[in-house]
Amino acid sequence: MSGEQALSTLSENMPKQPLVHVSELKKSFGSLTVLDRIDFDVAQGEVLAIIGPSGSGKSTLLRCINFLETPDEGRIRLAGVEIDAGRHPGQKQVLQLRRLAGMVFQSFNLFPHMTVLENVSLAQKRVLTRSQSEADARSMELLDRVGLSDKAREYPYRCSGGQQQRIAIARALALNPKVMLFDEPTSALDPELGLEVLSVMRELAQDGMTMIVVTHEMHFAESVSDHVMIMADGRIIEYGPSAEIMRNPQSARAQRFLHAVRDR
Amino acid sequence: MNVLFEQAGNWLPHLWNGLKLSLGVTVASLLIGLPLGFLLSLGVISRSRAVRYGALAVVEIGRGAPSLVLLQFAYFGLPSTGLVFSSFAASVAALSWSTAAYSSEIIRAGLQSVPAGQSEAALATGMTRLDTMRFVVLPQGLRIAIPALLGFAILIFQTTSLCFAIALPELTSRAYEIGTNTFQYLPALTLAGLLYLAVCVPATLIVSWVEARAAS
Amino acid sequence: MAEIAAQVLLGLPWTIAVTALALAIGLVLGMPVMLARRSRWPWLRFLTGSLITLVRSIPPIVWLFLIFFGIGSGYFKISPFAAAVVGMGLISSAYMAEIYRGALLSIHSGQMEGASALGLHPVRVWIDVVAPQLFRVALPAMATFAIGLLKDSAVSSTIGVPELTFQANAQSMATYRGMEVFSFVAAVYIALSVPVAWLSRILDRRLRAKVSR
Repeated sequence: MSGEQALSTLSENMPKQPLVHVSELKKSFGSLTVLDRIDFDVAQGEVLAIIGPSGSGKSTLLRCINFLETPDEGRIRLAGVEIDAGRHPGQKQVLQLRRLAGMVFQSFNLFPHMTVLENVSLAQKRVLTRSQSEADARSMELLDRVGLSDKAREYPYRCSGGQQQRIAIARALALNPKVMLFDEPTSALDPELGLEVLSVMRELAQDGMTMIVVTHEMHFAESVSDHVMIMADGRIIEYGPSAEIMRNPQSARAQRFLHAVRDR
Repeated sequence: MNVLFEQAGNWLPHLWNGLKLSLGVTVASLLIGLPLGFLLSLGVISRSRAVRYGALAVVEIGRGAPSLVLLQFAYFGLPSTGLVFSSFAASVAALSWSTAAYSSEIIRAGLQSVPAGQSEAALATGMTRLDTMRFVVLPQGLRIAIPALLGFAILIFQTTSLCFAIALPELTSRAYEIGTNTFQYLPALTLAGLLYLAVCVPATLIVSWVEARAAS
Repeated sequence: MAEIAAQVLLGLPWTIAVTALALAIGLVLGMPVMLARRSRWPWLRFLTGSLITLVRSIPPIVWLFLIFFGIGSGYFKISPFAAAVVGMGLISSAYMAEIYRGALLSIHSGQMEGASALGLHPVRVWIDVVAPQLFRVALPAMATFAIGLLKDSAVSSTIGVPELTFQANAQSMATYRGMEVFSFVAAVYIALSVPVAWLSRILDRRLRAKVSR
């Protein structure tokens, strides 16, 4: 696969660099500080789960990584593209960064006026300037991978929530991203439909995709991710290998949080 | 009312020509006003402050001043700047302005009712703002705006009756003319009213049908 | 120019009078029309619905001509001002009925059921529970309509009511300065609609808390 080729050249050129590097990230809305000096790295092929109480800034952090929110300060480097938020990055740089990151939203955000196939093909045609037939062929491949090639000609409203989210994953994969960003991908779904999405994500992780996942699924954080980050009040309060963090959180705040979500 | 039935045959061809002119002004104003309204709607949500305020001024004057005043402005006011319009051109100019102002608000409301997640999803794939607007937001926003735009088209057709004030021989002017010539105001105006009904009632039914379909 | 402006502004009281009276007629008559529109008898519903469509499908200027020249010239005399108020009031009633109806639809049916369950008389349910919420919900649409009515009152100039547009027309002909005259009168209309929009926003905020949806 071309993605793998690109990844191998990348790792040869920059042997010790992490795939994603976030440093000194700050963001506030008015007087409210949402992100306060966030630093972390994500290695090639790693799965990072970000958990924490609501309002802790985890979704904002994810949205800052591909500049859907513009950070006030800080640097983001993603597969060789580096942006310094403090220096008013141009549209061109931001687009370049976004092309390298696929994003999956809590509310799917499929385009309701397009068929499933058109949803997956649109950005390939507009961003990668692939031909219609090239794009459609690649889309069918990806829809097949998420088990939904039979829905290609349907409109999104004809699909269940779980199916829509799997289509959204295929749409994000269509640009061969270096990293996939998931923003609470199962929060809007019934538990049963959430499972089919989680299983697609698990396969993706097994295939070596680098993933950053904001989630409420503690089981996913514990069993699929390599690292876990716990956020509260715009700060990272705990970070480390997932087994360690989930079983033995150090801070009292993290202990309280994990205790509360497990009780549910 | 007997006069109405006796004279209907004589008056109808005259009024019919007036109705055609009313419809002509309507169509011309929509053809010019809707594209302008679309541009204004983009102007009002533009990121450039100068563009935004300029577009807002055009919209607020177009919506804030009575159509009758706009018509008289175009016909009696502009000649003092050297721009002399025929009554038809003045009618189309003024009503295009109205159309642009009102339709821009309708289109803007349509665009803004497209959930933010839609453009975010497109932007997240690396699409430009322009492409996002063109392929994702516009198709959805315009579809939402269509019933209201159709309703507005009926309103603009009714507004052409005000062109009476600048001597355009449209439907109302002709009914009034028959009235002054024959002193049969009531039957002549009733006949004109019936012609307005003949256009507006079916059109209204079509619009509510489109509305109901769009809502489902 | 100051002289022209002063002349044009002579029309201001007339514009306000036509608008306010037509609005008052609509506020009052709109209610029974809306009730008839929601009557339990299908024939009355159909009749009212047809009348509303009839009133709204014929342009205001044609209504004013029908009343002033059509009825007024033949059977009994009617002043331009009275014709304008009657005509605009008629249109306003039809529109207000639809505004009331839309507002009623948006009031939660649980409100009526809740009040009825308390054993309140249906009339009391209306007066104490439904009507106050109705006005609150209808307020933004009413404000928009009032501003529309203000601009539509310009039409009464065509039958000789000496309001703003009429005065502007006269000044334009007398001075040949149509450009300035009509720009000025347009600015007056815009300035008049600003306080209405402002007032409605304040009232809206104040009443919002008092309505359950």
